[in-house]
Amino acid sequence: MSSGSYEQNPIKAFASEVWGSVFRHGLPTTDKVAARTALTNFFLHIHPVRVKKSAIRVSYTLCLGGLSFFLFIALTISGLFLMFYYIPSVGQAYQSIKDIQYVATFGLVMRNIHRWAAHAMVITVWLHMARVFYQGAYKPPRQFNWVIGTALLLITLLLSFTGYLLPWDQLAVWAITVGTNLGKYGPIVGPVSRYIMLGGRNVGQSALTRFYVLHVIALPLIGFVLMVIHFWRVRKDGFTGGL
Amino acid sequence: MAQEASSVRNARRAGMITTRGHTVRTGPELSSTPMVVRSREEEETVVTFPHLVWKEFLAGLAMMVFLLAVSVQINAPLLQPANTAVTPNPAKAPWYFLGLQELLERFPPVMAGVIFPGMVLVGMVLVPYLDRNPSRRPEDRKLAIGLFTVYVTMAVAFVIIGTVFRGPNFSWYWGQVLGHPGLNSKV
Ligand code: HEM
Repeated sequence: MSSGSYEQNPIKAFASEVWGSVFRHGLPTTDKVAARTALTNFFLHIHPVRVKKSAIRVSYTLCLGGLSFFLFIALTISGLFLMFYYIPSVGQAYQSIKDIQYVATFGLVMRNIHRWAAHAMVITVWLHMARVFYQGAYKPPRQFNWVIGTALLLITLLLSFTGYLLPWDQLAVWAITVGTNLGKYGPIVGPVSRYIMLGGRNVGQSALTRFYVLHVIALPLIGFVLMVIHFWRVRKDGFTGGL
Repeated sequence: MAQEASSVRNARRAGMITTRGHTVRTGPELSSTPMVVRSREEEETVVTFPHLVWKEFLAGLAMMVFLLAVSVQINAPLLQPANTAVTPNPAKAPWYFLGLQELLERFPPVMAGVIFPGMVLVGMVLVPYLDRNPSRRPEDRKLAIGLFTVYVTMAVAFVIIGTVFRGPNFSWYWGQVLGHPGLNSKV
């Protein structure tokens, strides 16, 4: 990085100093540099420095865990954008979605990305679970990471479910009405849990407020923390690798 | 040491050791022995950066392109404003809960709403503790794979049935595949 020729040009020298202070190592020319790059970069150090060749074959993970995480990031970013416009009130929610679609620049495509990524994430997380099962990757020492995984599947479903209500159109309100009715058959807990979920007996403003808060703050936060633990354990337990 | 490693390798090739001896340490011995997470000489490794990072980047890029392509072509649904006085028929839960709705259609509520889903949920969480079989090879896991495949098949079938074959009053309906005009609308 600090080659002598830069010293003649103060701007280049400064740029090189700044670059060098951010990225301590260059592109991987040798395994040693590659190892240091991975170790010293915050975003890369989630990985071990070396991985088993068989574990990173695309045919082994099918990228499904990674894609689930990627979709989570895409949802966070597009969701942030939607939050600039969306108003969680029974009277204004529907109109604010219309505004997102027809007034906000790129609003329509942002809403579409958010919606389709949400569906896709339910699918990729579920398929990821299936691949982990079929490969027996939950066996010791990874038992507990499977348990964290099931919590993540639940969080993913709840995120999708709470988001479903927010547009406050016929599809949203009735799907949530039917969905929450499904939960009310448990003895005692059933009706109570429905009441707690909706903040009342019907899908109204208090349900919208609760779903909104869960959807934009509580569930993403819990999900993120669980994902961090999940990844940490994938690393610490060692990746299962090919059969 | 080297001899030991190669004998492990040979044993595995011969199909005698089906779990990886070097990574699997369970039970009380965990606390007393240093844990061997990875052992170098056992399996070929590559540096994460760039090998794995490159694959992750490509997978992310492909997903991004796919999402954008879909989102430019197909709009997310937005129906009429909510109206609690007008119940659409059929009224369906989101697709991933259609399995539950399907069960409720077929079984008494306590079974469909509490016992079955409860069993699936608890069973799912306990999978690693119920399955005592140490082998990861498919031919040693016929029961586990069979049971899970039943679950997968039913889950997928119920979602397809609920989405495509359930019409007014959530009763069986061929109209969506056979194209019966006028009955498909959701209000
Ligand atoms: C938000 C949801 C989830 C995310 C983002 C996620 C992410 C990941 C990632 C990135 C990996 C590394 C390997 C791979 O890409 O396949 C992984 C491994 C793993 N996941 Fe997940 N996961 C999620 C949900 C689940 C679920 C639902 C389960 C099971 C019920 C699960 C169980 C596991 C296990 C046991 C491993 C270790 C597999 C091995 O060592 O081969 N995860 N996860």
